[in-house]
Amino acid sequence: MYKATFIIIEKSYLIRKGLISIIEKIPNTQVIQQFDNEDDLKTPANFESDFIIINPNLLNANTLNIIKKITPSPALSACSADRSAGRRARKTQVISISEKSTVLTKEFEWTAQIYLDDTQNSILKKLNTLIGNRETKNVKSEVPEEISKREIDILKNIALGYSNKEIADKLFISTHTVVTHRKNITRKLGIKTVPGLTIYAILNKIIDINDTGKSKS
Amino acid sequence: MIITKNIKMADVIHTNYFTLSVLNRFGIELGFGDKSVDEVCKKNNVDVDFFLEIVNAFVDKDYFPKKHLQTFSVKLITDYLQKTHDYYHKLKVPEIENLIEEMVDSCYTQKENIVLLKKFFNDYKQELLNHTHREEKIVFPYTLAIEKAYNSEESDNSVIELMETYSIEIFQNEHDNIEEKLLDLRNIIIKYLPQPKNSRLCNKLLYELFNLEQDINDHSRIEEKVLVPKIREMEKIITKRFAKK
Repeated sequence: MYKATFIIIEKSYLIRKGLISIIEKIPNTQVIQQFDNEDDLKTPANFESDFIIINPNLLNANTLNIIKKITPSPALSACSADRSAGRRARKTQVISISEKSTVLTKEFEWTAQIYLDDTQNSILKKLNTLIGNRETKNVKSEVPEEISKREIDILKNIALGYSNKEIADKLFISTHTVVTHRKNITRKLGIKTVPGLTIYAILNKIIDINDTGKSKS
Repeated sequence: MIITKNIKMADVIHTNYFTLSVLNRFGIELGFGDKSVDEVCKKNNVDVDFFLEIVNAFVDKDYFPKKHLQTFSVKLITDYLQKTHDYYHKLKVPEIENLIEEMVDSCYTQKENIVLLKKFFNDYKQELLNHTHREEKIVFPYTLAIEKAYNSEESDNSVIELMETYSIEIFQNEHDNIEEKLLDLRNIIIKYLPQPKNSRLCNKLLYELFNLEQDINDHSRIEEKVLVPKIREMEKIITKRFAKK
């Protein structure tokens, strides 16, 4: 399931809670992390997020550094091969939360501004637009994707108990490609584990129940 | 709502009936009339502050005043975790097994599919058992040994040797995602299983699976957010102490 993720950096507890309660009104969203001060921010941030909402007054060398870490530059994410498969090819967008009068620095691109006196509806509208743009750009559409014929081939082999390496050799593709297919299968079906995929394969007659466990012989 | 000492215990359950399982683990029985949380805990010899932290963490995922909970002894935490293990193996898992069994029995058209579920859950049960067993045999004794060394003034070599063979870091790294398979099972039943005629049983099973998953999540949260940081801190201090000598 596609989930838009948020990180909130804001000192005020009330504002953080308010933002979270609004974000949670939008389906398939999640606030994965919230920070209230710079101390917290010093902890290594190796998480990934679609959006960062930050109070511009908290911008300093330290927070900037953290944001840069969370936001891979487009060039970087395009060439890092192991990321291209997952959802991380997308760029993190930075949104400000402040008074209308606050002047934004130009150190990076702000994708939107939320003001403290915005109504709930206008905040929802801004966020929905951003999430909507992102979906159409990156996931194409949210219509449930069918698994492809090739993916069924892979799924069949997973269910039969073959390892990534074995599947790669069998189908004359790289292990990396197998991993990519597996990720896509999991995303489409919502099933992650091998036993789970096996049941799916049997229920859908991709393999026969008597075939399981044969591969190792 | 944040649960405090002076709230009536009855209201705790009214607020969120999932807390019943927490009460159960602390050995608190129903029928406490209008007694407050504090009174009921005292009567049952339960550390009220610890109870409050656990029950609040259970009700509200975001509630986690880590520092406060850190002050409790490791023994209290592992005892609680041990009780959740018992709760899974003695109560929850058999309940789910019975439901699946009942589904197999009452099903005529697609018995083979339900048998698949049964096998899947059986494997899961084994995995869960291995997981908890490992914690009980290796992790809990280790954490208790660390606490003991931490509390005693003189540091003897045995604990340093112990720390060389194992550390809480290892536990954290190998602490696998034990609820993943439950999520798969849930998805299979909701999305892909040709629905058997007995939707009553199916709903009941799903409800139980949600329940178990939530409980295991909570359990892992306490391990990762409370036990691990606490032990890591103790390890550091013990190492420092030893280095000074």
